[in-house]
Amino acid sequence: MNLWLTFRLSLSRIAAAKVRSGLTMLGIIIGVGAVVALTAVGQGAQQGIDDSLASLGANQITVSSTTTTGLEEVDAEAIAGIEGVLQVSTQVNSRATASYGSESIFAGIVGVSPSYSDLANPDVALGSFLPTSPGLQNSRTVVVSAEGADKLGFTEASLGDSIRLDGVAFTVVGVLDDADGFGAGSNVYITQEAARSLFSKSPYLSSISIQAVSEEAVAPVEYRVEQFLRYSKGVDNDEDATYSIFNQAALQDTIKTVTGTLAILITGIAGISLVVGGVGIMNIMLVSVRERTREIGVRRAIGARQSQILTQFLMEAVVLSVLGGLIGLIIGQLASYGFSVLGGWDFFIDPTTVGVAMGFSALVGVVFGVWPARTASKLQPVDALRFE
Amino acid sequence: MTDRVVELSHVRREYQTGDVPTVALADVSLEVRRGEFVAIVGPSGSGKSTLMNLIGCLDRPSAGTVKIAGNDISTLDDNQLTAVRSKAIGFVFQQFQLLPLTSAVDNVAAPLLYQGLRPREAQKRAAAMLTRLGLGDRLDFDRGRLSGGQQQRVAISRALVTNPDLVLADEPTGALDTSSGAAVMELFKEMNAEGRTIVLITHDLDVAAAAKRRIYIRDGLIERDEVGSMAGAQ
Repeated sequence: MNLWLTFRLSLSRIAAAKVRSGLTMLGIIIGVGAVVALTAVGQGAQQGIDDSLASLGANQITVSSTTTTGLEEVDAEAIAGIEGVLQVSTQVNSRATASYGSESIFAGIVGVSPSYSDLANPDVALGSFLPTSPGLQNSRTVVVSAEGADKLGFTEASLGDSIRLDGVAFTVVGVLDDADGFGAGSNVYITQEAARSLFSKSPYLSSISIQAVSEEAVAPVEYRVEQFLRYSKGVDNDEDATYSIFNQAALQDTIKTVTGTLAILITGIAGISLVVGGVGIMNIMLVSVRERTREIGVRRAIGARQSQILTQFLMEAVVLSVLGGLIGLIIGQLASYGFSVLGGWDFFIDPTTVGVAMGFSALVGVVFGVWPARTASKLQPVDALRFE
Repeated sequence: MTDRVVELSHVRREYQTGDVPTVALADVSLEVRRGEFVAIVGPSGSGKSTLMNLIGCLDRPSAGTVKIAGNDISTLDDNQLTAVRSKAIGFVFQQFQLLPLTSAVDNVAAPLLYQGLRPREAQKRAAAMLTRLGLGDRLDFDRGRLSGGQQQRVAISRALVTNPDLVLADEPTGALDTSSGAAVMELFKEMNAEGRTIVLITHDLDVAAAAKRRIYIRDGLIERDEVGSMAGAQ
């Protein structure tokens, strides 16, 4: 009795008792499906986080003011001189009403220094970012975030048109892409000089972006910046600080730890559900061996060896479990597709997930099928034939 | 090759039920030669089923020797016993015992597949055997679509397909109506006329009458061994 025939026999067995087979496979289906979907969600979320972090630019540290007078231009100038700092860029934030045609929104005004585009590397969908040459820093030009553009009713032809910020006309030179963090929020970017002269008249800064010379330099630069600010602002306790320092690498580490924990959790769920599914299969196989005792006796009588009986029942358990795994995989992939549409990340079928899901399903079939199959093969032909 | 298909010499078989050993066969010696048609006749509890199990290589004796087609089965392990059974014995059961979810042709092919024959060849031989027994138009029917008589003919095809030394039939007409039963007995007679060795186990004297030799068994012992036509039967 070759394996192919045994396999076909197993399939016809499973097909003959669809409801029972389906219920038996349910544990494996749910287990594999849940793990495949959760893994995809984890990977998608990770990818989304990576993308938005990458878009912030490499080796960055951001110092944000936590009070209206927390950071000054002199701080930025001093930080630019700290060892390991490649460049700094400053932002002043305020809010204003932006109007275009009949549309009008309340927008965040981000006044950025010329080095901003170099440092933060925003993705521009249309046009270009703000001019960087010193002579144009007082120009009335504006770059609109994707969401802002959407709300204001921009079309491709809007480039070069004017929008009004609290009544002052600005020429639209660019629209940002919404694929990364820049797309979110109804923000408009203008030069810092323009922002200061029109919206944010105080000499204080909202935030300072710092780019370190290398990835290794991020931590020491962060330390030095913190020491400098503590000293220059006279901060003794952390609670008194007028600023907060945000390090992208540290965030990435935190996220990695979280995703690592999540992966362990998913593996745990997978392990438990596969064991539960396997016990279900073992249970039904033991019932099956009992129900088919006479058949086993007949097969032994017409010349089946113990090993051939063992193979038949083991095959049946493995086919049940692999079939369950396959159905779980398909359901899991469909769910991941749904999540990817909802979450806005790319859907892809990970070959590792497929391989691991199928491999573990087969393993469960073997592990939990061996005992029933051995029970079947060890039946004495005489007893099996006499069994009522 | 020996002319003696079955050789039993002072065979004893007892079962342990609780603390008391039950003697199923006390002391049985018999021989069946190639080409014989023997009925083993006895009431239930006489030990005839135990005798069938021993002749069919399904069981080993507690004492004495059992030789089937020249193989002393008391010394064989399970795999060797299976090999002898596979080669030397063709079983026909009372309840037909066709394999479930399996077509007639696949049922008949099964013993050949267990012997390791290739599926295509096994199917060819199985189909030929079924055709010879008049079931050529029902090769793909499973047991649910066959009458009792047809099922038993499939079972007989399955017993014959390996060309065994001995066909061992246990109450082969027990689950059939009179006319189907008679047809099956005719088939056994024809098979014997072709030179097949047949051992039939039955409690039914009318069925036993078809055999050329009858061994009466009672209380684990041979009561009578009778050759030739039965008294009172045609």
